[in-house]
Amino acid sequence: MSSLDEKDNAVPADSNAQASLPNDTSKDKMDEKENETSGFIIFFFIIGLVASLIAGWVIFPKLLYSKKDQPINFNHLLHMAEVDDGCQSCHFLRTDGSFSGIPGLKQCIGCHDEIQGESKDEAIFVEEYVQKGREVPWLIYSRQQDCVFFSHAAHIKGDGMDCVTCHGHIGESEQTRVYEENRITGLSRDIWGKSISGFNANSWERMKMNDCAKCHKEAIGKASSVQTGKEGCFVCHK
Amino acid sequence: MKVDRRKFLSFVVGGAAGTALSPLPWKLVDDSSIWSQNWPWTPVPEDGEVSYEPTTCSLCPGGCGIIVRKIKDRVVKIEGIKGHPVNDGGICILGLAGLQLLYGPTRVKTPLKREGARGSGKWRKISWADAISEVAGQLNSLRSSDKADTIGCIGGSDRGVTPNLLKRLTSACGSNNFFRTPSMQDSYETALQLMHGKKAMAGFDFENADFILSFGSGILDGWGSPVRMFKANSNWKTNKTPVIQIEPRLSNTAAKADQWLPVNPGTEADLAFSLINIIIEKGLYDSNFVNNYSLGFADLKQLVKDKYKPAKIAQATGLKSSDIEKLALKFADARRPLAICGSGQGHTPGSLKTFVAVHALNALTGRVNSKGGVWAVEEPDYIKWPEVQKDKPAVKGLAQARIDGAKSKYPLSQYLLNQLPDAVNSESKASLQALLIADANPFYTMPDNKAAQEAFNKIPFIVSFSSYMDETATNADLILPNHIYLERFEDIPTATGFAGPFIGLSRPIVKPQFNTQALGDSLISIVRTMGGTVAASFPWADYKTCLVQTLGSKWPALSKKGYWVDSRFMVPGWTEGFKTASQKFNFSNKDLMMVYNSRPIIPEGSDSFPLLLLPYDSIRLANGYIGDPPFVIKTVADTVLKGKKSFVEINPITAKKYKLKQGSTAILSTPKGQAQVKVHLFEGLMPGLIAMPRGLGHTAYDNYLAGKGINFNELIGTQADPVSGQDAAWGIKAKIARA
Amino acid sequence: MSKELSHNKVRRYGMVIDLDKCTGCGACMVACMAENNVPFKEDESNKRDSITWMKVYKLTNGKPFPNTEICYLPRPCQHCEGHDGHSPCVSVCPATATDYNSETGIVSQIYTRCFGCRYCMAACPYHARYFNWWDPVWPDGMEKYLSPNVSPRMRGVVEKCSFCFHRYQLAKDKAYYEGRSEVREDEYQTACTQACPAGAITFGDLNNPLHAVHQMVKPDLKHAGRPKSPNAFRLLERLGTNPKVYYLSDREWVRRAGDNYMADTKNHLEPKEH
Repeated sequence: MSSLDEKDNAVPADSNAQASLPNDTSKDKMDEKENETSGFIIFFFIIGLVASLIAGWVIFPKLLYSKKDQPINFNHLLHMAEVDDGCQSCHFLRTDGSFSGIPGLKQCIGCHDEIQGESKDEAIFVEEYVQKGREVPWLIYSRQQDCVFFSHAAHIKGDGMDCVTCHGHIGESEQTRVYEENRITGLSRDIWGKSISGFNANSWERMKMNDCAKCHKEAIGKASSVQTGKEGCFVCHK
Repeated sequence: MKVDRRKFLSFVVGGAAGTALSPLPWKLVDDSSIWSQNWPWTPVPEDGEVSYEPTTCSLCPGGCGIIVRKIKDRVVKIEGIKGHPVNDGGICILGLAGLQLLYGPTRVKTPLKREGARGSGKWRKISWADAISEVAGQLNSLRSSDKADTIGCIGGSDRGVTPNLLKRLTSACGSNNFFRTPSMQDSYETALQLMHGKKAMAGFDFENADFILSFGSGILDGWGSPVRMFKANSNWKTNKTPVIQIEPRLSNTAAKADQWLPVNPGTEADLAFSLINIIIEKGLYDSNFVNNYSLGFADLKQLVKDKYKPAKIAQATGLKSSDIEKLALKFADARRPLAICGSGQGHTPGSLKTFVAVHALNALTGRVNSKGGVWAVEEPDYIKWPEVQKDKPAVKGLAQARIDGAKSKYPLSQYLLNQLPDAVNSESKASLQALLIADANPFYTMPDNKAAQEAFNKIPFIVSFSSYMDETATNADLILPNHIYLERFEDIPTATGFAGPFIGLSRPIVKPQFNTQALGDSLISIVRTMGGTVAASFPWADYKTCLVQTLGSKWPALSKKGYWVDSRFMVPGWTEGFKTASQKFNFSNKDLMMVYNSRPIIPEGSDSFPLLLLPYDSIRLANGYIGDPPFVIKTVADTVLKGKKSFVEINPITAKKYKLKQGSTAILSTPKGQAQVKVHLFEGLMPGLIAMPRGLGHTAYDNYLAGKGINFNELIGTQADPVSGQDAAWGIKAKIARA
Repeated sequence: MSKELSHNKVRRYGMVIDLDKCTGCGACMVACMAENNVPFKEDESNKRDSITWMKVYKLTNGKPFPNTEICYLPRPCQHCEGHDGHSPCVSVCPATATDYNSETGIVSQIYTRCFGCRYCMAACPYHARYFNWWDPVWPDGMEKYLSPNVSPRMRGVVEKCSFCFHRYQLAKDKAYYEGRSEVREDEYQTACTQACPAGAITFGDLNNPLHAVHQMVKPDLKHAGRPKSPNAFRLLERLGTNPKVYYLSDREWVRRAGDNYMADTKNHLEPKEH
């Protein structure tokens, strides 16, 4: 730093210093100025640091994700009270072992062929979708990209996992959350997790490949992949 | 305070440090790599509930049971039905690619009316109502001007409800001119009519035969019901049933046969008669059958004795006379030998003489109407419609003979589409004024293609009911697109070569993708609009009603199971199995003697054409009404098609003579035309011959098929069989020279 | 059977193709393309860039007319095991995009992982790997038939036969649903096996003595799976790739053609160990 400063001083074109001050007194003044400048340098460093931290931690996530509302505000809690079989009343495994996912109109009509209660959302649902025979374009928080094969049967039946481990307490929600879509990847924010740092406090907060691999490596302890020593790629990819 | 360079740099360093400590760069790297793995233009197929729906494939008359795999309302895969009587789980290459027809770019999406010259590809979309009334108007005006007999219809088949509705429309209008796309069925039907006295299709009990002698039939190249033949062949391999293939080219069938006998082309009938001669001379025939259940044996015996001596036939066929004798002995020694004919896929009727000779060979060894043999399978008789109602124009029109000479000049034949071009071209004023074409693509499939097109172009009004923009639709005046087979109901009576009465049912397994209409409904709407006796001849509200009523008691089982087999059917036997006047099998009679003595079919062309051009069929090249979908053309070898150029096969010996090398470009000429081709040297072809695949050279369909290779039909002419009048040309003289 | 046991059980899925039954009809090729969302172009006659996971080769005995013979040879990915799963392609992949799964014996290819260096293609002695030189394009509307079980590929990646692994995944789902830990032989069959009208292809677990494939070729596990059945052979046996696709033919010239380097099939030379 200092050699750089000296060089700087030696440059005659540095007009301020040379024009106003004689050469012998300039040294002290310069030192004073130096202190002042290095203070400012740290100041600028901090400004840069703080600004970029704010940009990275606060602004970037806001820019990265677009927000979309679900077409209908769905009350899970209300429905859970009505059904007998918990989550699986609506989100069940089909007899071929595939997972039904979000129920289609066909299932909802079972109860909602006419308006049941006084909820505004139900009214919208019945009028806009049931009566017009249109499927509701739900936004799926947990949708993975196309190369991923996820077997609900393997996790639920094979390993006895519960829904909460991956989906959290969505079954107790009274409101649908805002769906945040990554503008670059088009994936739901839930895949990376709410926390932009990628840190997750709960198992359901993040569903990246490493999160899957955690169990697939540790819990099961299979090492069928020759390349990685973990579980084979084709277990979760298609 | 001034921001100097140092402060700025410090700000930047601070910014960089902050950025590195923030998730931004890491997240961006991660996101952009995910983005780069999922381009927005790469489709992501939607997932959903899977369902399976069974139906019957009608891309060929094979009648295979297929099951489609659906994700919600999308069809994603076609597979064979396990346990189905025809194909038992197997499926052919074309059937597998059916979805490329359903969703493909070749579909005609709405009724179209021609604008501009024929074939110029300029169309105007019209409504169904307009299209129907246009056809009805044209037909009515011909009828009212006493030209009912100038209405013609070409159908892919004459079996089943829809083809019969088309046939009925023809007669209700007052015309006899309904044509069926020619095939070996024509010849087998005539042979069975003459020998069994039955109007029926030939049914073969391949599964129970223990020796197969094929006179050029492409058992593994798409002959009969292809998947059934593949299955039968595999069973023969397991059971060590010998298969002997007689043809001059090492086809896939010949390659898999236990013995390949390359005979000079066109001598199949000679060889069959010669085998008959040897079997009779050695007394190896089934004397019980011959003595008690047949007539005319003596005449046949005399004929073969006089004309088919082994030495003479050895010379004609190019086989050793000892080999012919060995073959005869093997055939006669087998417990259940079966001889079949119909060359390649059987798309040309061929010489009637070959069919009766081969059938007589079967009969001689007692292989007709008995297990493991061949018999006449009559069409399930569910179509029992009343006579059409006739008004004056109809009566007058129906009194006119067919223009192709069938049932008059050629009394043994029902339909002679091959005679149509001549009949039309020989008259100054067109003898056909309107032509309706369904499930057929004669603009492409008819041999002597130029003459056929010339004839069609003389016909002032052509309507195509095609689902695809094929050559015929391209050259039509009006297209009323049919639903494709996955979108409509259709009964498919009797799979080709199937050994018993059978009906398969195609049913809509997917919603119509475009503004199309089932042919049956289009026909009923046309007659409804025409009114009068024509309308009165069609007492059904719509096609579905007609189908359900017609199938009657068979409908419930059909719609439940997808097919119907006559469970009471038994091998006809010898006592009651023949419906000739004598109730016996005819080895000969007046008509048969005429066939036996008919002149052989000599290929067309002068001596300036020193070689012989023969077609060959490949299961990978659909060459009938349907053209190859993209997946199927993709499987065609680069020694058959390279870029836009197709290859002909030549034996290296012949090639050397004409200074041709592998891949040389050459000009191939026949009396009918010439074409630029590439040369593929093939040891498996008899020297002196040139072999060319059928199924290429399309000018219509999509860019995956059009403009690739040469259409064989442009190079071959037609030759009428002297007795049946069917096209019996099996090849044409040719020459080839380096281009 | 306990879950643990089933997890540890090693399957080696493999295929036996009876070349005497194969008719060269090409149904397996199209069945594969239809099942696996394989793309197509207007001109597919340049076979070097024509993607055919399953490809039927035509072999001839090279003899002149009329002694010429033809044999067709369908070639899927051979799912080589090499030694301890070090198949030729797996050992060269710098991206961990292709992998050998020792639980099923299947060589996987993860398209999103692949960055298109094509080392694996150079390494594969069977030409079973294909590169996407172009983005796949389906004519308007045709993308409707695409199967959700197989991910469509993008330009710049290598793809190959997966033994229809997605069918194994689906069969396992069904087994889980029904509380079974094993997938039955008939539950997991590849699309080509199922479609073959000649019944020439058999598929199953080579390690399972009850499976047809095992009974047909009797793999000798002491000698890297070399077939004990006299008519069975593997392609380029001497390279030691230890493939899991076996071929059957009672014609000697066909068996010889299966290994260019094989001087004598009668003596069944020891495959060279690497």
